Amino acid sequence: MTTQVTLAAGKSSTPTEPSGTVVLDGVTRRFGETKAVDNLSLRVEAGEFLSLLGPSGCGKTTTLRMLAGFEHPDGGDIRISGTSVLGVPPYKRDVNTVFQAYALFPHMSVAENVAYGLRQKRVPRAEVRVRVAEALELVQMRSFADRKSTQLSGGQQQRIALARALVNKPSVLLLDEPLGALDRQLREEMQLELKLLQSQLGITFVFVTHDQGEALSMSDRIAVMREGRIEQLADADTIYARPDSAYVAAFIGQQNFVVGTLTSSGDAVDTTIGALKAARIDSGLISGDAAQAAIRPEFVRITPAAEPKPTGTQGADGTLIGLAHLGESMQYLVQLDAGQSILSRRPTADAPSVSVGDAVRVSWKPEHVQVFPADGAEVAAGFVRPPKTTHSHN
Amino acid sequence: MRSPRFALAIPAWAWLVLFFVVPVGYVIWFSFGYKPGIFGTHANDVLSFDRYVEALSPTFFQTFLNTLWVGLAGTALCLLIAFPVVYWMAVKVSPSKRGLLIALVMIPFWTNFLVRTIGWQVILAPEGWLSTGLNTIGVLDGPLEILYTRTAVLIGVVYNYLPLMILPLFVAFDRVGAPLREASKDLGAGPIATLARVTIPLARPGIIAGVLLVFIPLMGDYITATVLGGAKGNMVGQLVASQFQTAQNWALGSAMAVLLMLVIALSVAIGAVILWILSLPFRSAHRLVLGPES
Repeated sequence: MTTQVTLAAGKSSTPTEPSGTVVLDGVTRRFGETKAVDNLSLRVEAGEFLSLLGPSGCGKTTTLRMLAGFEHPDGGDIRISGTSVLGVPPYKRDVNTVFQAYALFPHMSVAENVAYGLRQKRVPRAEVRVRVAEALELVQMRSFADRKSTQLSGGQQQRIALARALVNKPSVLLLDEPLGALDRQLREEMQLELKLLQSQLGITFVFVTHDQGEALSMSDRIAVMREGRIEQLADADTIYARPDSAYVAAFIGQQNFVVGTLTSSGDAVDTTIGALKAARIDSGLISGDAAQAAIRPEFVRITPAAEPKPTGTQGADGTLIGLAHLGESMQYLVQLDAGQSILSRRPTADAPSVSVGDAVRVSWKPEHVQVFPADGAEVAAGFVRPPKTTHSHN
Repeated sequence: MRSPRFALAIPAWAWLVLFFVVPVGYVIWFSFGYKPGIFGTHANDVLSFDRYVEALSPTFFQTFLNTLWVGLAGTALCLLIAFPVVYWMAVKVSPSKRGLLIALVMIPFWTNFLVRTIGWQVILAPEGWLSTGLNTIGVLDGPLEILYTRTAVLIGVVYNYLPLMILPLFVAFDRVGAPLREASKDLGAGPIATLARVTIPLARPGIIAGVLLVFIPLMGDYITATVLGGAKGNMVGQLVASQFQTAQNWALGSAMAVLLMLVIALSVAIGAVILWILSLPFRSAHRLVLGPES
């Protein structure tokens, strides 16, 4: 304990970048012709839980590996606790990593795995014992201390990997999709525990994931990445409610996209199902531009066609062609008379009594409609972005 | 229900019995007999340990020691040379190029063992190109006098047996994998500490396999010693061969062969014990038993 505190105090952290701050300054990493990370700048505050979120190949893992020291940037600067780590090998950085496949040492017991980092720092034996026991208690694995690490289940190995990193009291903890291999129930449990641990310990967490639910449930801020750049950096509420681009809008949760052109009044999109009024319109768009209106399935109401149209809404008529029970919510797929389809999701407790084949009406409030420029894959794919595997965070 | 599974092992058992247990049994049996006159090769009507006494005469004993020396030094040299090469191949080289490197290691192996060894005779000869070359650049004054010495045998042995060390070592190093090495470095261990505490302990079965694959056939090798060793570089393998082929004394040859087997088994056992004792302080330094919760 004491050694670590003095170590941290001795670091050349600056008043503007206190210990635990991570700064990437115009970082680029090329693999051959492709830029895995492209002129990326990012500041992670000390004690913050920041997620790098994006599909595979977006550069999030490369970014994390550069922080750990396994990859080296071709350009730009990386500072941890105010000090540039360019050229600093992984074993001299005050960061630890929880690896995707855990990477526990199979020839060591659980306790020996956790003790590994302390042994490298020549921490006295008695202190090693105490700190290893503490770290194992922290992840509720104390009773497994003398087991072989190969005798553990995935979830248990995950906890040991976490303890093995945390026992070193790093100023920054890097997590590379650490929950990816766990089954869903265990994953959701670990999400809560991780967040709790992070706020208890006050260590900066940089968490890499492709799972938007994971990012939304734990992060102070989320950096949504695309092709080596940060598409949007904001807290979960902002990312969810006010995405900067169609890409972010589609990646976080699900979206119905309706293509058309921005009307001359500039506050709606002309589409085959009428002029859709919108609350937020991309500032780069001018009248007559190709645009796409985005509406989240959870904001799309569905009512039997015979019922009166809900007040204050816009909508369209169609036929219910699909219905799926998702547990706490129901998902509906409606084929509109105009030819397109729309996805709707309603809480199970509030589910309308409709069945497949019924004539229905979908409706939404204009305040839930956002308009983005009509470029990108969403338009090419058609009217509605195909439903992705859902994650029930909302 | 057990019989079908047992049936799968029958070819292996048959092979082992026919080509290992039975011949070794014959060799042991012959070793207690004697050579009956000029034209007989072996007789077992009188059994004794006399052939063993004969085999352990000072001349033979010297050859045994020489064989052990070549075996140990050759194995050690193979390990020392293979280790950095394999580390480089398994850790530093990109995976796509590893297949090519393995092929390059294997290609000399396709050439006949005897031809490869005779090749070294040409290189190491006092009037050979190595000798001439070294004289030309001034490293050496006078002919190279390595051929027909123990050094020449050692060079030939290392050349012939190196692939047998490289292959198992490479498989072992490769299987440790980058993630564990990265985890080690992430936890503050430098390259040396990572090698000592992660890579080598995990590659240990492969290192042991490589050492045994080189040491055991090398102890019985007689081609390399015959071609490159001359009179000074005698090995037991040559003695055994000459007893069977030239002297036609199968009894004495068998006794020598049995002694050679015993020496090999004993060397391996002693080596294992020494390694185990040497590793004791290292093990206790890294052991950590927390015991039940207090």
